[in-house]
Amino acid sequence: MELYIKHISKQFKDLTAVNDITLQITPGVWGLLGANGAGKTTLMRMIAGIMKPTSGQILYDGIPIHELKESFRDVFGYLPQEFGFYPEFTVKDYLEYIAVLKGLTPKDSKRKINELLEQMTLSHVKNKKITKLSGGMKRRVGIAQALLNEPEVLILDEPTSGLDPGERVRFRNLLSEFAHDRIVLISTHIVSDVEYIATQNAVMKEGKLLAKGTTEELVKLVEGKVWSARIPMNRLPEYEQKLQIVNIRNEDNGQIAIRYLAGRPFTEDSLPVSPHLEDLYLWLFPTDTVSKKTFSGKND
Amino acid sequence: MRLFKLEIKRILKTRATLVLLFLALGLSFVMAYLPITFSYNSYTDANGDTVKLTGLASIAYEKKLQADIAGSVTPQKVRQAVESYQACLTKYGVENSYDLPEGVYQSEIFPYAPLLHGIREAFADRSTGIAPSIMEIAPQEVDRYYEVCRERLVSLMQMEQEKHPAAQKAAVTMYEKVEKPYLFFPGYSTDAMDYQIILAFLVLLFCAIIAAPVFTSDYQTGADDILRCTKCGKIKFAVTKMISMLFITGITFTLCAVIYITVSNNLWGWECTKTSIQMLYSIVNLPNMNIGQLQCFIAIFGLVCILSNVSFTLFLSSRFKNLTASLSAALLFCILPTIIYMLLPAEIGSWIYSILPAGGNGLQTSVLYAAIDFDFWNIGTISIWLPHVMLGAYIIEIPLFLFLTVYSYVKHEAG
Repeated sequence: MELYIKHISKQFKDLTAVNDITLQITPGVWGLLGANGAGKTTLMRMIAGIMKPTSGQILYDGIPIHELKESFRDVFGYLPQEFGFYPEFTVKDYLEYIAVLKGLTPKDSKRKINELLEQMTLSHVKNKKITKLSGGMKRRVGIAQALLNEPEVLILDEPTSGLDPGERVRFRNLLSEFAHDRIVLISTHIVSDVEYIATQNAVMKEGKLLAKGTTEELVKLVEGKVWSARIPMNRLPEYEQKLQIVNIRNEDNGQIAIRYLAGRPFTEDSLPVSPHLEDLYLWLFPTDTVSKKTFSGKND
Repeated sequence: MRLFKLEIKRILKTRATLVLLFLALGLSFVMAYLPITFSYNSYTDANGDTVKLTGLASIAYEKKLQADIAGSVTPQKVRQAVESYQACLTKYGVENSYDLPEGVYQSEIFPYAPLLHGIREAFADRSTGIAPSIMEIAPQEVDRYYEVCRERLVSLMQMEQEKHPAAQKAAVTMYEKVEKPYLFFPGYSTDAMDYQIILAFLVLLFCAIIAAPVFTSDYQTGADDILRCTKCGKIKFAVTKMISMLFITGITFTLCAVIYITVSNNLWGWECTKTSIQMLYSIVNLPNMNIGQLQCFIAIFGLVCILSNVSFTLFLSSRFKNLTASLSAALLFCILPTIIYMLLPAEIGSWIYSILPAGGNGLQTSVLYAAIDFDFWNIGTISIWLPHVMLGAYIIEIPLFLFLTVYSYVKHEAG
């Protein structure tokens, strides 16, 4: 089983949203990382077949998905970043509707819907109108519909936004179990969501694929660039101007411990620390307010 | 079938749709009753007081007074009516029935007045079309009443379709098939037919409002992104949505028409449905129909028209990504035939509005008015009666717009 994204590009007038991306996606959980506007959603929409690529093609087991048509959609599940429901539908109505659209038999529909309602802890609201649900619950309904047909290829665009920490942990565990012998591609801003479960990651920036690999392989890119140091609390604003600070922790005696990203240590007592995927993300997508040129070493 | 049932359930769960459907059904009762209230009659009683009658009482009074003339409209009956009319006006020394003393028209002419309907039109001048006064008509000429009517149609068509002999011939052929003598049963008013048209137009608007969001709403809310990724989310889904919409609008319109016709005829009296349309509209109308048949004709024609318009609205819905735009366009196309009727010259206007999906249920362009008019579509030597053109257009448009809707939906790309 393989999803092959072959030299895919998408052009919107003057904007190249996705620029010649090639990626071979094999079974397992894939994390798709990138800042806003990186082109993740556009790429996912093209995989879902709701947007046509300007050039390139997407193949599933060697056959272009536009040729597979219904047979690809039969093994496909998709949760868009933003999506609407029919306001008149209850959770159960909606899942039944999607189950029919996914070609499930009445018996399978009933079984799968009950199972997912249980897994997504939605059983108690199954007869409630979706419009009356909280953002997190709506998201869970969205996830449930994507899983209804037990898809071989599951694409989830920001699936955990709106979920509380407990729900995110449950979701991660569910996905880890589900991804056995299946392709699961998750785009997210919340790096920790994929750090623990992704077998592979792909990092996008400005429409291009910057890097791909396992979490361990990717974090190597920022090895020797993650530091911790103790600084006086009153000098924090000055450091914030100069450094990409990842974490701040208050300590005694007016001191604070900072974790920062830089090509070389900024202070003499800085110690190198093991990088995480989040460090890589922040290294690749630094916040605008931070000036890093001097110490980042990126342009060295 | 499961998807169809769920789609119907979904549509019927939408509050706005339900409100519109119930409003349409409620209006069917109201619209059927309203024309009754317009009926008005008055008479002077034994004490010399004027008694005013409205509504059902007025209709009952009219039926009672005109009971003797109910049935076949034979030339003899018409001649007798003409003679009585002329004798009455001569007796009172007036030229016009409006000049008769109060109460005389009601007591002496009103009982047979419906037989005089169209007599002036039938005897209109063959070259100018100007109708004579009833006083100028020779009673013995009325013995040839139906021949005179035919001659009138020939001259009328020569004036109306001067350059189109095919149209003249087609009209005469149609008229020859009209059953004669005409039938007349008192009490009915053409207001009832007009209100059936208004009802059809309102249901057309409601159905357009229900159909406009079918695809657009999904595009706008993003629901479509999930739906079209499913196994049956493209052609099957689009077809199911269309069939569901056509089913609901078809059932709604049929129910409205059945309610209207049933209530209306119960109020006016079912015997009125046997009246030939020539006794209420032009004396030389082309369709061989009585009022009951005309009601059914308008209902069936209206149904085809509404299905055509819903198909077109679904097409618009599959094209627009914004609900306001989709709804505005759908409503604009509902009133477009009327706008064209008012703005463009008659010949060009009728060419256009007769093929527009909403034309047949338009307020001014309704098939009722096309059926009682003498308009033909003339292409070279071929002339086609306007209602036939309209019907042909809708029969072509329904599958055409449905096909375009599916095509447009399948090709739609997320924004």
